[in-house]
Amino acid sequence: MKKYTNSSWGLILVLWLLSSCLEDTPNFYEFEDYTFNNLDEDGGSWQTILVSNLENINIATPEATNSAAYQAELASVKESISKMSAAERQAVRYWSNNPTIRWNEIALEMAAKYNLIPGPNADGTYTLPNPANPLGPPPFPFAHPPYTSRMLAYLSVAQFDALVVTWHYKFQYNREAPYRVDNAIQSAYPQNQLPAYPSHGAAIAKASKEILTLMFPLEAAFLEEKYKEHLKSLVHSGQNVPSDIEAGISIAEEIVSLAKQRASTDGMAQAQTSKAVSDSIANAAYERFGWKWENTETPQRPVGLTPLFGNVRMWHVPNVEEVRSPPPPAIGSAQFQSDAQELQRYASNMTVTQRRIANWWEDGLNSYTPPGHWNKFAKISIVKNKLNPLRAARVFAYMNTAIMDAGVACWDTKYYYHYPRPVESIPGFKTILGTPNFPAYTSGHSTFSASAAEVLSYFFPEDANQFEVWAEEAAVSRIYGGIHYRFDATEGTKQGKLVGTYAVNKAKMDGAM
Amino acid sequence: MKKIYWTVAMLTMVYMSYVPIAKGQLPFDEIMMPKGEICFAGMYEHSSWSQYWEGTYLRENANIGTFNRQMFMPMLAMGLTKKINLITSLPYISTEASGGTQVGQSGLQDLSISMKVDWLQHRVGSGRILFLTNTHFSRPVGNYLSDYMPFSIGVGAPEIGLRGIGGYKMDNGLVFRIAAAYLWRGQTEIERNYYYQDGSVYSSFMNVPSALNIHGAIGYWAFENRLRLEATYMSLNCLTGDDIRAYNRPQPTNKMEVSQIGVWTQYYIKADQGFGALAYFNQTISGRNMGKATTFGLGITYQFKVN
Repeated sequence: MKKYTNSSWGLILVLWLLSSCLEDTPNFYEFEDYTFNNLDEDGGSWQTILVSNLENINIATPEATNSAAYQAELASVKESISKMSAAERQAVRYWSNNPTIRWNEIALEMAAKYNLIPGPNADGTYTLPNPANPLGPPPFPFAHPPYTSRMLAYLSVAQFDALVVTWHYKFQYNREAPYRVDNAIQSAYPQNQLPAYPSHGAAIAKASKEILTLMFPLEAAFLEEKYKEHLKSLVHSGQNVPSDIEAGISIAEEIVSLAKQRASTDGMAQAQTSKAVSDSIANAAYERFGWKWENTETPQRPVGLTPLFGNVRMWHVPNVEEVRSPPPPAIGSAQFQSDAQELQRYASNMTVTQRRIANWWEDGLNSYTPPGHWNKFAKISIVKNKLNPLRAARVFAYMNTAIMDAGVACWDTKYYYHYPRPVESIPGFKTILGTPNFPAYTSGHSTFSASAAEVLSYFFPEDANQFEVWAEEAAVSRIYGGIHYRFDATEGTKQGKLVGTYAVNKAKMDGAM
Repeated sequence: MKKIYWTVAMLTMVYMSYVPIAKGQLPFDEIMMPKGEICFAGMYEHSSWSQYWEGTYLRENANIGTFNRQMFMPMLAMGLTKKINLITSLPYISTEASGGTQVGQSGLQDLSISMKVDWLQHRVGSGRILFLTNTHFSRPVGNYLSDYMPFSIGVGAPEIGLRGIGGYKMDNGLVFRIAAAYLWRGQTEIERNYYYQDGSVYSSFMNVPSALNIHGAIGYWAFENRLRLEATYMSLNCLTGDDIRAYNRPQPTNKMEVSQIGVWTQYYIKADQGFGALAYFNQTISGRNMGKATTFGLGITYQFKVN
């Protein structure tokens, strides 16, 4: 029996040792708070994207730091800090001094959570998510790549404009942060000379919460909780007094109303069409080219994904036809045959590296989509380059508007040419990845990725080569996955790069050096 | 006349007790092999389902249709000593679906090595109480991807199992057996570094939930201990994990649960060396995040003795 007891202890020890060598599975990006490489004192003069004249957004003149009102606020801040709970301390560390990162991560998490394609009903029909009845079933939204690209564009643009306005008033009023006014207050983050009024943290929080609630109405309560936690952390970290925060919120409110106005009229509400409209689009292509894409699921989905996303208003490209790709090779042509044979070769003889690339970039259902993948790259570059929140928001804003523009351009091309998927055109062909519910040409992954790489290469030129390699890999991953022909990927990459240059050209002239 | 029958029966029993009966075995049964005995088994298993549990909701999916899984498993058992046996196995698995456009997977799955120890045999009433343990370790071989569910051929994680096996073997051939195991599972490496499990996870490792595994059987040894017949019950319950999301594919982090009932029969040779055969059938009766599978298996065994 003693032998038995000993061996049990031995096994428990082995299990414990094994558990301790497991890899971490973190839920957010952990980074050390950093000193901003630059404060961008002139940031208030940069070109905004939604706001036409920032002088129209007014905030109250702040009380001086030696006023009784301000001193009372300071006292309340000190009391609040002295009563901080362990959870509140953790919140201060979590939100960090660049909270654009955290709100971006929350947006990606929402995207993954809602990126589930509605299944069929018992009678073989499909019900689409309905914003008028968000609970569903199915719940609203289905955060597919076009939806997510647009969600991220509005989020980042609202953050960026709110921060430009915030910066404008910060350096107009120059009211210092509580930790600079009162030695008894510690800054939880590296100190700097950034004026505290209006609070940029509060502007980010308010703009982000409102845009994400618009995009994910069922998450309103969760987002409200995050928002409150974030605002509290601004006080607890010694960055702001309540009046700083109120001013930041009031700026964000103005920006959010502009963003909502644009979003309500940008054409997204019409992107998912009726079957009649969808059929007429398919038939137009059939008459022009002699082919049309059809959904290959069982039961068949009557309408592809957002046939009119190509009509949605773009951010930087005046007319989507400027960036429409040239016609794909005709089905049965020599080029088509050779690219189809390439797919069959990969399918019957896939290397470990090809498989890894296909999976690494899958970013399919239940994930943050390719736009999300590029937001993760942007986040890592932002931290690596120690960007302040305004600079970070600028990167996200130009990248995400370029990504959405790339999506619009790609969808215009997809439904104009209505090109069949490999599983339709190659008899008996099976794939390692699921075939999406929209035409093949051009590849969305390729287009999204090339546009993002173009913008990130402008902001982080020392890593331009890496971004280009990633964009190429994202494009080719779809060929390995069996769901795109090489010409879908090649032309998609060209298209994305072209769309990206429109955003870069705007960024070059926005006044930021 | 009656007396003659009685004598013949007695003689048979005495004779039997001197002739070794070669016995193949599994990690969860009560069977032990004497020192120096080696048994090779080749098993084929076919399993299919056309319904699966998405969380606790039993559904069909026309893009899968009927899902088929085939396994060929070579297995080797040996008697290190009378009280300690080793069992090792390495299955080859292939999967395919009758519907949809996605390709099935195939390859070598996990190499498993287990040690069975006979701790106790105690005479109680008209039978013997048995207690054994089985400790096993398994890990994936090759480079199969666990993240291709439902097509993937395994969960892709190392596993350590601690199993206690208790039984009561009656002199009349009836056997009652229950085995309970704790299966500790480690992580599986996937080919992406972000996934959703009740929230964002920024990692290329998934935690595969540990599980409780129960086997129960009522068996009967017939034809002079050469034929074993069993009615079986098996359950596996992950202790943690998430559910498959609506109309989404499964993933290795899921809280998988299954219980099944079945029958098992095995024919043992009555010699030091030679072939035996086995066959079994299992029907899944309840589950969670698993297919409602019907399974049958066939196997042949070859047994011999060294030194």
